[in-house]
Amino acid sequence: MASTGPPQSLKRPDSSLTREGDQLIITPLGAGNEVGRSCVYMSYKGKTILFDCGIHPAYSGMAALPYFDEIDPSTIDVLLVTHFHLDHAASLPYFLEKTTFKGRVFMTHATKAIYKLLLSDYVKVSKVSVEDMLYDEQDILRSMDKIEVIDFHQTLEVNGIRFWCYTAGHVLGAAMFMVDIAGVRVLYTGDYSREEDRHLRAAEIPQFSPDICIIESTYGVQLHQPRHVREKRFTDVIHSTISQGGRVLIPAFALGRAQELLLILDEYWSNHPELHNIPIYYASPLAKRCMAVYQTYINSMNERIRNQFANSNPFDFKHISPLKSIENFNDVGPSVVMASPSGLQSGLSRQLFDMWCSDKKNACVIPGYVVEGTLAKTIINEPKEVTLMNGLTAPLNMQVHYISFSAHADFAQTSTFLKELMPPNIILVHGEANEMGRLKQKLITQFSDRNTKIISPKNCQSVEMYFNSEKMAKTIGRLAEKTPGVGETVSGLLVKKGFTYQIMAPDDLHVFSQLSTANVTQRITIPYTGAFGVIKHRLKQIYESVESLPDEESEVPAFRVHERVTVKHESEKHISLHWTSDPISDMVSDSIVALVLNISREIPKVVVESEAIKTEEENGKKAEKVIHALLVSLFGDVKLGENGNLVISVDGNVAHLDKQSGNVESENEGLKERVRVAFQRIQNAVKPIPLSVS
Amino acid sequence: MGTSVQVTPLCGVYNENPLSYLVSIDGFNFLVDCGWNDHFDPSFLQPLARVASTIDAVLLSHPDTLHLGALPYAMKQLGLSAPVYSTEPVYRLGLLTMYDQYLSRKQVSEFDLFTLDDIDSAFQNVTRLTYSQNYHLFGKGEGIVIAPHVAGHLLGGTVWKITKDGEDVIYAVDFNHRKERLLNGTVLESFVRPAVLITDAYNALNNQPSRRQRDQEFLDVILKTLRGDGNVLLPVDTAGRVLELMLILEQYWTQHHLNYPIFFLTYVASSTIDYVKSFLEWMSDSIAKSFEHTRDNAFLLKHVTLLISKSELEKVPDGPKIVLASMASLEAGFSHDIFVEWATDAKNLVLFSERGQFATLARMLQADPPPKAVKVTMSKRVPLVGEELAAYEEEQERIKKEEALKASLSKEEEMKASRGSDNKLGDPMVIDTTTPPASSDVAVPHVGGLRDILIDGFVPPSTSVAPMFPFYENSSEWDDFGEVINPEDYVIKDEDMDQATMQVGDDLNGKLDEGAASLIFDTTPSKVISNELTVQVKCMLVYMDFEGRSDGRSIKSILSHVAPLKLVLVHGSAEATEHLKQHCLKHVCPHVYAPQIGETIDVTSDLCAYKVQLSEKLMSNVLFKKLGDYEVAWVDAEVGKTESGSLSLLPLSTPPPSHDTVFVGDIKMADFKQFLASKGIQVEFSGGALRCGEYVTLRKVGDASQKGGGAIIQQIVMEGPLCDEYYKIREYLYSQYYLL
Repeated sequence: MASTGPPQSLKRPDSSLTREGDQLIITPLGAGNEVGRSCVYMSYKGKTILFDCGIHPAYSGMAALPYFDEIDPSTIDVLLVTHFHLDHAASLPYFLEKTTFKGRVFMTHATKAIYKLLLSDYVKVSKVSVEDMLYDEQDILRSMDKIEVIDFHQTLEVNGIRFWCYTAGHVLGAAMFMVDIAGVRVLYTGDYSREEDRHLRAAEIPQFSPDICIIESTYGVQLHQPRHVREKRFTDVIHSTISQGGRVLIPAFALGRAQELLLILDEYWSNHPELHNIPIYYASPLAKRCMAVYQTYINSMNERIRNQFANSNPFDFKHISPLKSIENFNDVGPSVVMASPSGLQSGLSRQLFDMWCSDKKNACVIPGYVVEGTLAKTIINEPKEVTLMNGLTAPLNMQVHYISFSAHADFAQTSTFLKELMPPNIILVHGEANEMGRLKQKLITQFSDRNTKIISPKNCQSVEMYFNSEKMAKTIGRLAEKTPGVGETVSGLLVKKGFTYQIMAPDDLHVFSQLSTANVTQRITIPYTGAFGVIKHRLKQIYESVESLPDEESEVPAFRVHERVTVKHESEKHISLHWTSDPISDMVSDSIVALVLNISREIPKVVVESEAIKTEEENGKKAEKVIHALLVSLFGDVKLGENGNLVISVDGNVAHLDKQSGNVESENEGLKERVRVAFQRIQNAVKPIPLSVS
Repeated sequence: MGTSVQVTPLCGVYNENPLSYLVSIDGFNFLVDCGWNDHFDPSFLQPLARVASTIDAVLLSHPDTLHLGALPYAMKQLGLSAPVYSTEPVYRLGLLTMYDQYLSRKQVSEFDLFTLDDIDSAFQNVTRLTYSQNYHLFGKGEGIVIAPHVAGHLLGGTVWKITKDGEDVIYAVDFNHRKERLLNGTVLESFVRPAVLITDAYNALNNQPSRRQRDQEFLDVILKTLRGDGNVLLPVDTAGRVLELMLILEQYWTQHHLNYPIFFLTYVASSTIDYVKSFLEWMSDSIAKSFEHTRDNAFLLKHVTLLISKSELEKVPDGPKIVLASMASLEAGFSHDIFVEWATDAKNLVLFSERGQFATLARMLQADPPPKAVKVTMSKRVPLVGEELAAYEEEQERIKKEEALKASLSKEEEMKASRGSDNKLGDPMVIDTTTPPASSDVAVPHVGGLRDILIDGFVPPSTSVAPMFPFYENSSEWDDFGEVINPEDYVIKDEDMDQATMQVGDDLNGKLDEGAASLIFDTTPSKVISNELTVQVKCMLVYMDFEGRSDGRSIKSILSHVAPLKLVLVHGSAEATEHLKQHCLKHVCPHVYAPQIGETIDVTSDLCAYKVQLSEKLMSNVLFKKLGDYEVAWVDAEVGKTESGSLSLLPLSTPPPSHDTVFVGDIKMADFKQFLASKGIQVEFSGGALRCGEYVTLRKVGDASQKGGGAIIQQIVMEGPLCDEYYKIREYLYSQYYLL
């Protein structure tokens, strides 16, 4: 059912046309066996969806982008962004503004509001050369106009793709997307956490089980300590460090988890008056601007924080002061500084790290997941020396603590989540290869009794699955007055909208859809001066049914031909034809018109007959030619053999066809039969019907 | 057969009374809306009382009294106990509206129909949904999906879509198709051909001026009064249309740098605005957009001062000002008091932004011509003094004593019972946990409580033979490794650090304003004194329609667009209902119902349907033609059976029978004219027909205006003499259709 083929370009049109419609393809363009630049491509039944659009924080410029060149952006119908973190949203302006993408983009209200602030900041902070810049502030502003919002649980439909989202925990506004295409459901979790914390809700468990679950595996098989233990460790480390006169550096991403840490610190300070003279700095101008967002979207947060809002704003911190830059920082004694970026790549957190790393009284608390390739990842292993920004090396004497507050699911959460959902297919993304491998093994053992497929594709490696989509139609209206038994026939209009089918009688079309039907009545007048009876007489020779209409219905003599077309003798000089359009009636009327014109012309008939005799031979020749041409188009290699026979050779098999009798000789039975049937049919079409003696 | 659908109005048909209807779908009873009026007249609820216990779910559509006012009373007194569904703003603002109603009433009367606690408990089991969330009911309602959709009118206002087996029942009252400052327009028009549509006829006879003109007049009349040194009173609802009015004023004041003070006065004003600030997702696109760009919440009001008591207003220095005060009906609340004060001054203006409810003071004042004088009852709650106080205290004392006696009696009884059970457990030290904690009940005197504690544990169970102090034998078990322990005893408990803070401030009470809170917890004995007085109405009275409902013309066009198979009309004066009924019979659909109260009408659709599977073989031979959102094809198929026993369609084994050709498509003469013109053919309209070229004419007969008839097959007549042009035009005409 599922197979991972070698990486292949998705742009190439698929040759296997037969099952193409039922083939579901999922390709990670980023975050496949890695953390960062989340971007997962999915296509099914000609509908294409992209989940997330991030960058890799450890790289810069084009190298940080997901592998967009693997896909054709113009074919994507919907792009869904789960949350505002850079590794999930930061390549969006690039994708919207610099590619041929013309689909629709959705994210939650809170995500959209923070997205703009965060990316503007990202553009300002990232110190790369101009040509390496993926986009600028203007691109972000323009992208804002294209982004549409979706509320949690709100069901939207675009081009027959139905999708809605669930709370994912993780950060404010984070969502898990459920996509439903023609009854096949795919859940993309993005980053999620099943643990409720100080301000966020836990991720919901969807009501319906998806057919495929694309799930993050950041923490693999690790287990988190209980939250209160982590919080205690966190506060204890800080408390002991500052009581020894040291400084604490917390490199954290500006938004999201930082708010949670600040809530913890602020509360701890409130409960410990002895600490009130120790300053806590939060070096992020961004956070202040985001406060309005945090204050507005309280409905996306948990009950606890909403209750606190009743009294005062919990995000209005009493013990935490903002810090603009290192120049404004007066480093005189113990202090706690939270600064971005979280990976210590550059910026304020790195500047402070360089200043403090050689003093063993100081401490650095790494509060969340760190991406491979960043300094923060390096110092977790506590090397003896580190390289400073100016290129010198310095001893690493400061204590390094790794206490994870990043709201990603751990193994326990992942496994219970999957147990509840029971998806038949699981695709792991967003995790380092090793962690992911371990998780995969463990899940395989856990779900061994069920027929669960667990796949962890690499970047650009496609996962192909087939879903037997059973097309169901609903027969409604007049057609459905009686449910037919087996063997009876059903004829009607099949109307498809999105992925729903309905069968109905043409008269019901306007009732059940916005379409309508029409009748076109035609009335054509033809100049004719002859006797009306002549027409009727002539027509009787062609048509079986030519009936005079009773006089009371129309004042003028009239008759009906083939029960379709009414011919009226309007005046001495005109006759008129009435009919309701359809191909047959149109043909009948055309023949009447031709006949009437012929009569009017009064051309002697003799000419026609003599002509007919002369052409007999010609006709025969023409027929031969036609037969030959048709056979060539069918079989390709057709040569004229002796005795007027035709020699047809297909793939080395030869057949001889006798044009007079229609006999075929060939060693290959299949070919013989096919040629015979083909010739018979052509013969029937080309040769005139033998007239039986009447 | 289709899904069985019955509608029974419980209140609010052929008049403008509160809304409340029973919609039963395959035996599952929905109560849609549960309204009451500002008089809180229990007689309205008679029909509801009869069916309250059979209701399975309640759907609320708007956060005002007319749509949800009776919920607390029905929950408490009428035995309504079904789960309630609404959007988050309807829940929250509805709750605040009810608080405001209660507090306004309590101030002027001995209001005892429900209490604040009843309101809280009624709203406790509200399930909150977001717009276009498909919520699948379970249990009895299995298979039914409900979904709220944008209605406009009020924040969170809902058009309910109830779906079962692919058939939609839509309940849409008080919708607004126009986009306003606060809200987006309704999405009602996006529903096409629902099986049943229930809508109101409230505005069927009203037509509105354009919004721009209306807004301008509104501001003009206000400014004129203010400049003439008068005060403006806007009687408003608690948390509904007032938000739109505030935005209009706020915006105008900012643009023109005005500094006349604006006050918003309700018992819950500040919490209302606090909550509204967090409902940005539910507001119009432009508000959301401005927040994304500037992070300025539209409800960070710079010019409007929020007040929650009248004494605060009295502190404000004299001078022209605007006061938006609840209730719109002027029956009670701040608006009533302020009206009485201001009505006698000709400089002042009372501006009604909505039609008053029937038989209220507001309605009387909106009459034309307005009355010269009105009789009002001024009521006031005053603390008891002197003899009355003494009598009250005596009475309270007596009640307390009785309760204490009762309590102690029941305690003893309970104690006996619990003793009995204790005995069976053989552990007399267990402190009786079955006794409810007495401390919360203030009425129980402390002595009683104390005695209970003393008795606990020390009185020997009456049934035990030899009373003794409890004694436990230390029976610890040992094995090879020492004492056998229970590892669980040593596990560090997962104590929740939040626990303490979680307790702080109950969700509902915590959000109540202090002033209001003081009123609730004010236990000073007080009474209500009333006196009737006649107020000379000298001030200017103006009514402007800021109700935010679609007007008659738009309703009609929306209805004919939605074109339900069956239409039920409710809520609206008798004339309006009758008018709309006649209109719809002619132009919308042949099945229009306007039931009376208590009359059950059956709107089960006579639609037949069955499901078939489309076999792969058949589908591979079907060529679809695309037409807008639809794809259409003609199928001839043979019925077969699948393995699972359901019907499936297979390709015919015999040649298909011929069928009448169907022209699918909708042609607009004007569009076709353009099309022909672009092909270089001279076209013009003359006498209702389209003249193409020199001779050919095209006519449309029996067109869409006859929608009611059921068959809306377009009839196109094409006439002309035999010529080339005729065939050319015919070809173009055919190209506009799909021939199947």
